Amino acid sequence: MRMSVAKQVLLHVVVLAMIVGLVFPVLILVFNSLKTETDIFASPVGPPHAVTWDNFRRVLTDPRFATNLRNSAVVATATVLLSVIVTAPAGYALSRFKFRGRTVFSMWLLATQAFPGIIMVLGLFFVLKRYDLINRLPGLIIMHTSFSMPFSIWLLKGYFDKISVEIEEAARIDGCSRLQSLVKVVFPLAVPGFLAVATFSLLLSWNEFFFALVLMRDNAHYTLPVYLVRFLGSGGVVQWGPLSAAALLITIPVFVLFLLGQRYLVSGLTGGAIK
Amino acid sequence: MARTRLLAHRGRSWTEERGAIPFLLPALAVLCLVSLYPLIRGVSRVFYVYRALTRQDVFSGFENFGLLFKDPVFFRAFGNSLVWTVVSVAAMFFISYVLATLLNSRYLRFRRFLRATTLIPWAIPGVVVSLIWRYIFLSDGPANALLSAVGVANPPAWLTSPQLALWTCIIANIWMGLPFVTIMLLAGLQSVEGDILEAAAIDGASYLQSQLRVVMPSIKKVILIVLTLEAIWTFNSFDIVFVMTKGGPGSASMTLPLYAYQNAFMYYQAGYGAAIGVVILAVLLLAVVLYIREVLQ
Repeated sequence: MRMSVAKQVLLHVVVLAMIVGLVFPVLILVFNSLKTETDIFASPVGPPHAVTWDNFRRVLTDPRFATNLRNSAVVATATVLLSVIVTAPAGYALSRFKFRGRTVFSMWLLATQAFPGIIMVLGLFFVLKRYDLINRLPGLIIMHTSFSMPFSIWLLKGYFDKISVEIEEAARIDGCSRLQSLVKVVFPLAVPGFLAVATFSLLLSWNEFFFALVLMRDNAHYTLPVYLVRFLGSGGVVQWGPLSAAALLITIPVFVLFLLGQRYLVSGLTGGAIK
Repeated sequence: MARTRLLAHRGRSWTEERGAIPFLLPALAVLCLVSLYPLIRGVSRVFYVYRALTRQDVFSGFENFGLLFKDPVFFRAFGNSLVWTVVSVAAMFFISYVLATLLNSRYLRFRRFLRATTLIPWAIPGVVVSLIWRYIFLSDGPANALLSAVGVANPPAWLTSPQLALWTCIIANIWMGLPFVTIMLLAGLQSVEGDILEAAAIDGASYLQSQLRVVMPSIKKVILIVLTLEAIWTFNSFDIVFVMTKGGPGSASMTLPLYAYQNAFMYYQAGYGAAIGVVILAVLLLAVVLYIREVLQ
């Protein structure tokens, strides 16, 4: 069954057209961030006539941007670390132990995906208020961790499933305790899994908007997505140049890290789903 | 032999039930504190109504649900949410299936590079995606500039037209969801053996027949997982509509999560917002139950 040359050409044309559709909107954002306001509406599609860095300068000299960048970085880093620490043992347990309530636990994890944000946030007010965590970064960190957990546990279970039990048993015969064999043998083998979880929770936390919008009350505590929407809302006319520059600056860090981590995430997701 | 028996013995104690507890404890603690407990407290809000006069939440039984069923905006938002979810997920599935099939072709050059490029929208924050598409569909933005260039006399006002606003948001949502669906389907397709397809072709199956009767059934589980997750995420999604149209014009593009947010945080009707949340929860749990039944079969 060889494909004719004409069909092969068609295949490439169609794929390229679809990829352009996926990439072009991002390119428009890049163009706008380098255009003057008049240029943006004079030629809404094409590249800038004359490159200006004013938009970036304006965002980077805004002290609120620096504060909110720091908040986003703190929340995302803490979420990533906490997610890995909490989900590693749970994923291991789900992979290795046969315990009562195992099915219920798995279903509960799936069901949490369906919980509406509004219900969670209304209920969380009680918890966060009691510990004085409203308008505080730790409150947001705990939230983001709880969102990333179900998926992360499922991802890690897949990775632990791939590590054979014999390796652990061999370590045990060599005199390792369960904890030692876990730390010295199993966890090092599961590093790709941890990277998958890290990429997933980083993306989730950095991009999360709804809870940050509702729980954070002032400029000193906003994260970058909220900063961006505030930027959009300030004043009557939307200034697309600086807005695009801000949007791009918010996207770049997580984009770079995503490129580095995506192959672990993809193999983790797809590995779990196929089985 | 002795060694194997030893291993078997140790293997049993290795999977002992009690041993699982310390491993699960941290995850269970977090889940109970920030998932189970808030869920219960959040749902219980539905039985309270905020009285502006006394500035207090008063227990009011099912009053919020009563109000809900007399509220035309709620019904509008409910209908919109169904359209938003069904159309988004169906389109994501169709486009992604085609893209994944093409990306899976062994005749495609630069496959690794092209596959990585399809992931790009995944890494972009939801609010940024919404801003990009809001700009694209401005009345003097790129979409209309292209339409004018090909000779359309009166290009529409996408975001402010009651007929188009929701559909414009749907386009942005589809774009954002494509990478995840494509990559999952692609992984499924890669697991399909080439010989079944050749066998189908020898039996005289057309291309479409072999896709529908052979390929799709053999990756049924992946399809099911992706569709369920994507439907749940889309039904719950907030960012795009909030940034692109705020539910407007009027309530033309209002969805349930946005309406719940507005009630709870702009009109200070937390109980009413919770009631809308309970409706969302009911719809989504139905989806989860159907999914679990299908998977367990």
